[in-house]
Amino acid sequence: MTHVWESQLPLLVVLLVLGTMAKVITVRSGGEPGALSRLGPAVLVPGRLRVPALLVCAAGELVLAAGLLATGHAIFRWATVAFFAMSTYVLLELRRRRPDAGCGCFGEVSSAPVGVRSIGRTVVLTGMAGMSVLAPVPGWVAVLHPSWLTAAGVALLLVLSPETAELIERARFRAPCEQRRGPSESATLARLRSSGAWRAHREGLTSLEPYDSWRELCWRFFAFQNHDHDDVVFAVYLSGRRPAVRMAVVGSEGSESLTEYTPVSA
Amino acid sequence: MGYPSVERRRVLAAAVLGRESDPAPDNADPLRAVAGEILDVSPHLIIIETPDGTEERLVIAPWATAWHGGDAAPTDLPVGAMVMMRALRDGRVVERIWADATRITGMILSIEGRRDLAVELDCGPHRGHRTITIPYRASGRLQVRHPKFEPGYLFDAIGIRQDGGSLALLPATSQPPYLARAVPSPPPVHAGMAAGISGTATWSDTFDEEERGAAYPMLERADTGCAQAGVSCAGLPYLSVGSLLRVTNVCSKRAADVPVVACGCLAGRFCDRCVECDTSPRGRIVELSPFSYVELGGDLVKGCFNAQIGLG
Repeated sequence: MTHVWESQLPLLVVLLVLGTMAKVITVRSGGEPGALSRLGPAVLVPGRLRVPALLVCAAGELVLAAGLLATGHAIFRWATVAFFAMSTYVLLELRRRRPDAGCGCFGEVSSAPVGVRSIGRTVVLTGMAGMSVLAPVPGWVAVLHPSWLTAAGVALLLVLSPETAELIERARFRAPCEQRRGPSESATLARLRSSGAWRAHREGLTSLEPYDSWRELCWRFFAFQNHDHDDVVFAVYLSGRRPAVRMAVVGSEGSESLTEYTPVSA
Repeated sequence: MGYPSVERRRVLAAAVLGRESDPAPDNADPLRAVAGEILDVSPHLIIIETPDGTEERLVIAPWATAWHGGDAAPTDLPVGAMVMMRALRDGRVVERIWADATRITGMILSIEGRRDLAVELDCGPHRGHRTITIPYRASGRLQVRHPKFEPGYLFDAIGIRQDGGSLALLPATSQPPYLARAVPSPPPVHAGMAAGISGTATWSDTFDEEERGAAYPMLERADTGCAQAGVSCAGLPYLSVGSLLRVTNVCSKRAADVPVVACGCLAGRFCDRCVECDTSPRGRIVELSPFSYVELGGDLVKGCFNAQIGLG
């Protein structure tokens, strides 16, 4: 039974180290003004605090990884539980406030918008960290004696990782989504029409054909009008088999205020 | 499907994706571009008529320089010349004047003549054809940087407008060695993610007068109705007409938010570098209107500056 509690420790250590590396690389390569791919919870803090926030987070992860690996002290284990629980909350907040931002968990590979899978992954990691609190041995012992439960944990995380799909696409196309020629407008419109957001708002539109459509980065936007002469705008992510669809109602051109803001995912 | 208002796109995209725009960049000593027709010029004062018909009197700084086909003193500029000026102090003090400057960018269609050459250029699907003259005195200097004076190759020069025509005087770049239709593909990016989008920013005089905007190469062909869009050797992301670019002049450290107003299909065909303050990465990333270019600290005669872009 003891093997069960410590089985996920190697995974947690590896993921924390990968997270540290990804954040440091993001900071080192991110010298550009107003980066095009906005990543992770850093978008929630003001511009000048983004780099310090990322570095503090990276240092925290490294300390946790070292603590888990070298000692069996409870403080590192509980801190890891707290870290992943907080990550879950931050991702939920990110999804609510900035639906276009990726989770940035593994640098710019994690640029797809935060979805149920990313959030599910942090929930699972919180559970794994919770299991590891009861482990009787320090992390290095678990690393030297991996069990089949460790492999099961890896498989579960791979299933929950949206990055695997992105890595496969990259191997196929050799360019990130915003540089690839997108699917045709009609194909994207067909994807929109099969989404829940479309079905929920179709009735209110004056016309089923968009009056304007444009592409920016990895999103295609379709603008419609509803019976109150407000603009109804849908954004469809251009990558993946079940792309994210967002929707908002914006007051007509005279009034700049947003009358309603309803993020909906397909 | 027309564009009811491309500015509206920005509002709609920000609303649906919950984007908050970063505050506009703050430059310490902002530059202003002023354009107009010279009514009178004296050693300390220049009087111009702006395109909207108002008369403006501007002080000429003691260190000011002018260009009219070559370096000139401000007092030597002819009355009636169209000038573009870089001004300090809320646009009241002029420090650089370009008179009748024009930029001639296109693909060579034909070349005729023995001494003075008449060159017909294809300036892209939005800008049509243009016939310019290369005077004999400038042809040697141009040919040093443009060794292929043959149909199908690109041409980029700076010159002056004279008697309703354009004279090419200075090469604006080294001519790309490939045919205009054979643009090299961008380097694979995943071999190490590029640190940001850097490259060359150039200018073009095909924008409306006093317009602040940019032509961007990487637009979807279906959205713009331009069959030549979406070509670039710089590895640019797709954007749309109406997107806001934050352009930073790496040389002068000035930044500004510039909207994409046109398709830069010709700029995307140039895979050249700018050596203004340092050697830039390959490829033209943005083609600015003269107003935006001058306000970012660029010199019209040099033709380019090293730039970085991001989303504004």
